[in-house]
Amino acid sequence: MNEADLSRLADLAVVVGANVQPGQIVGVTAELGHEEIARAIAASAYERGAKFVDVWYIDPLLKRARIEFAPSDTLEYVPPWYGKRILSLGDQRGANIVTRGLTVPNALEGLDPQRAGRDQLPRVKETSVIVNERTVNWTIVAYPTVPWARLCYPGLEVDAALARLWEEVKHVSRLDEPDPLEAWEQRIDQLERAASALNDADLDAVHFEGEGTDLTIGLLPTSIWRMARWETADGVRHLPNVPTEEVFTSPDPERAEGRVRSTKPLVLSDGTMVTGLEVRFEGGRAVEITADEGAEVLRGRTEIDDGGARLGEVALVDGESRIGQLGTVFYETLLDENAASHIALGAGFTFSVESAEDRARTNQSATHIDFMIGDNDVDVTGLRRDGERVPLLRGGVWQIAAVPAA
Amino acid sequence: MTPPALTEQLAELAVGIGANVQPGQIVSISAEIDLQEVVREVAARAYRRGAKFVDVTYYDPGVKRARIQHASPDTLEFVPPWYGRRVFELGESHSARVVITAPPDPQAFDGLDPDRLGRDQLPALSEWMEVLSDRTVNWTIIPYPTVPWARLVHPELDEDDAFDRLCRDIVHVCRLDEPDPTSAWRQRSAELADVGNRLNALDLDAIHFEGPGTDLRIGLLPSSSWIGAVSWTVDGLEHLPNVPTEEVFTTPDPERADGRVRSTKPLVLVDGSLVRGLEVRFEGGRAVEIDAEQGAEVLRARVARDGGASRLGEVALVDRESRIGQLGTVFYETLLDENATSHVAFGSAYEEAVSEEDVPRVNKSGTHIDFMVGGDDVDVTGITRGGERVPLLRDGAWQV
Repeated sequence: MNEADLSRLADLAVVVGANVQPGQIVGVTAELGHEEIARAIAASAYERGAKFVDVWYIDPLLKRARIEFAPSDTLEYVPPWYGKRILSLGDQRGANIVTRGLTVPNALEGLDPQRAGRDQLPRVKETSVIVNERTVNWTIVAYPTVPWARLCYPGLEVDAALARLWEEVKHVSRLDEPDPLEAWEQRIDQLERAASALNDADLDAVHFEGEGTDLTIGLLPTSIWRMARWETADGVRHLPNVPTEEVFTSPDPERAEGRVRSTKPLVLSDGTMVTGLEVRFEGGRAVEITADEGAEVLRGRTEIDDGGARLGEVALVDGESRIGQLGTVFYETLLDENAASHIALGAGFTFSVESAEDRARTNQSATHIDFMIGDNDVDVTGLRRDGERVPLLRGGVWQIAAVPAA
Repeated sequence: MTPPALTEQLAELAVGIGANVQPGQIVSISAEIDLQEVVREVAARAYRRGAKFVDVTYYDPGVKRARIQHASPDTLEFVPPWYGRRVFELGESHSARVVITAPPDPQAFDGLDPDRLGRDQLPALSEWMEVLSDRTVNWTIIPYPTVPWARLVHPELDEDDAFDRLCRDIVHVCRLDEPDPTSAWRQRSAELADVGNRLNALDLDAIHFEGPGTDLRIGLLPSSSWIGAVSWTVDGLEHLPNVPTEEVFTTPDPERADGRVRSTKPLVLVDGSLVRGLEVRFEGGRAVEIDAEQGAEVLRARVARDGGASRLGEVALVDRESRIGQLGTVFYETLLDENATSHVAFGSAYEEAVSEEDVPRVNKSGTHIDFMVGGDDVDVTGITRGGERVPLLRDGAWQV
C-alpha cells in the first residue's frame, strides 16, 4: 500500500461510491485496523465539502469480550442511540461509507455459537429503514488488510500477499483504469441493459440447476430487476457496492422450493466462516441448513425473527464479472457475491418491487445474509408467467437477446 | 507493549473502586484509538461484573486532523446532534462511565492553523458536563501508559527506558504497588475527606494564592464546601472520579476572582494542543487577559466559546504529600498533573459542592479546563468570613 493507492481508494469511495455532496454529513463505519483508510476517506469527503465526517469504529474483539462474558439475557440488547444515529443520518440526508476488510481472523473462535448468534452488532436494524427510504447515498468498499491478504493467499509471504490483494482489489474496483469513474459508467450501462431485458421477460420465477442445486424461487408480480446504481429520494446517484457486477430483485418470501448448494464460502458480519453450506427450502422457508463449518452460527442468525429464514434477494451475475474472472475466493461477501449469482436470507428491498401491495409482501427481517449459489456450471432459467422457460445464464453467459456480451 | 498485568490492574481499578460498575448498567468507555488493549480489558471486566452493554467511543486524532486541514471553515463548530443525544441517554439510563486517558500525541496537529483547531471542540462534549453534574452517572478517569506519552515525559531516555519509567510512575501514583490497591485508595480517600472537613470548619469566604507571578484571590459561594476524592451519584453509588486523586476541591463564586496567576505546569488540552507559560489576569471573576509562550490562541478560542468558559468553575488544593507531586515529573496530562499541585479550572462547576440555593450561581459552561497554579513556592491562604487570614498551604504542606 502507498499513499497514492490509499487516496485513490478513498476518492473511489467518496466520489464513485457514495457520491458525497457538499454540505452532507458522512458516516464512516470502519473496523479497528482500518484507521488509515478512514482518515483518507475523511480527508477526501471534507475536500468535497462534507459538513462532518462521523467515523464509527467497530472492534471484533470487543464483540468477543461481550459474547464471552456478558450476562446471557443481555446479548440481544442494543442501546437505542445506535439506531437513532442511523435514523438521524437519514433525516439529515447524509451519506454513509462502509469499509470492508478482515481485521481479526476467527474473532469468535471457540465461543458458544448460540450466544454469538444473538449479538447482531455491528449490524443495526435501523439500517434497513434508511436503505428502503433511500434517504442516504451510501457505499461499501473493499480495503486490503494483512489478515485478509493472508486468508486469500495462504501460500504467499505476508508482504507479497498484501501487495497481491491490493492489485486485485484495484483491478476489481477498476482503479487500474485511467478514469475509474468512466469505467464504472460503462459497466453500469451493461448491467442496466441486463436488468431491463429481465424486466421485459415478465418472469414469475427463477430456476437454479447445478450440482447439489435444484431451486425454484418465485417472484412477486411486480418484482423489478435492478442493477447496482441507485438514486436517493433526492436524486443523488450512488453505487451501494464498489465493486458491483450484479442484477437483483426481491423475491416472493413464500415461494422457494428445493435445495441449493453454496458455491463459495461465506463470512458472516462477525467473522464466522460458513463453508459447504446447503439449504433446503419449503414454501419459501429454509427448513434445513447444513454446512461443513459454521452451520450453527448461521442457524442462530436465521432464527432471529420470522423473516430470517426466508429470502429477501435473488441476484444474477454473469461470467464477465472481473471478480468471477480472477477466480480468487476473497472470503468477503462484497467481492464474492459479485463473482457469482447469489441469494440472501433476511430483509428484502421494498424499492425493488413496484406495487404497494407487493412492497408489503417483501421479506421483513433484521438480518440480511448473502450467499453464493452460481457459477459457470449452474444454469439459471427464467419461468415466464405464461409457463415458458427462458434460459438466462448458461456457462456463465447471458442468454437473453438484449444483453450483448461484455 | 504495556505489561499485561498492568493493563489488568488498571482495568480492575477502573471498573472497581473507580467507576464502581453495577450489574445491569450500561458502561460507556471513551478512549483514544491507540488504547484498544485496555479498552477491551475494561469491557471484559465490566461484562464480568454484569454490565448490560459496553458502549465504546473511540477518538481518532487522525480523523480530526483531516477535518481541521480540509473542512470548510464554517463547519468546524458543527457536531452532529446524535453525539449529544447519546450522552444524555447514557445519563437517563444511569450508566457507568470510564474514561481512559493518555495525552494525545503533541505532534498530531503540527502545522495546523490554531484558530481552526480552536473551533473544533471534539472530542469534548458539553453534554457530559451537564450529565456529570446531574450525578446520574458513576464515573472515573484513569491513565494508561503509551510510548508517545513516555517520550514526551522522559525525552532524555531511550524509548524502552522511557516507557518502563512511565509504567513504574503510573504503578506508583495509582498505588498499584500497594499490597491491596483498593484499600489503599479507600484510606487515601478518607484522608482527603478529613482535610475537606477541616477546611469546611474554617468557614472561608475566599482563597488567596501568592507566589512568583501569582497574586490571585478567588471568592467562594456562601455554601461552597470542600470535597475530597469520593463522589456519590443520585442513586447513592460511591465512585472515584479520578484515579489517581490527591485533591480537595470546591466550586467558587464565578463573579469573584481578581488578580494575576501564573501556571506552574504545562497544560495539554483535550485535543492534544500544548499550552506553556500560561498567565491569566482576572477581573470580577472573568479572565480578561490570557498570555502564554505557546498555545495561547487555542486556549483563548476555548475560553471564548461561551459566557462561562472564561470564569472559574473549580478551585482545588493539593498538598506536597501527593505521590504525583513527589515524583516531580511533568506528565503533560491533566489527570496526573492536576493531582500534583493546586489548580483552578475555567468552565463548568460541580454542583455537588454547593447547596441548593447556590446552584443557580455556580459557573455554567460547555467546557472545563484545569490548569495548575500551585507549588512549594506558592502560598495558599484562606480568608474567613470574619476577614481573618488563615494559612492553608505553606511550602506545599497543610497548615490546617
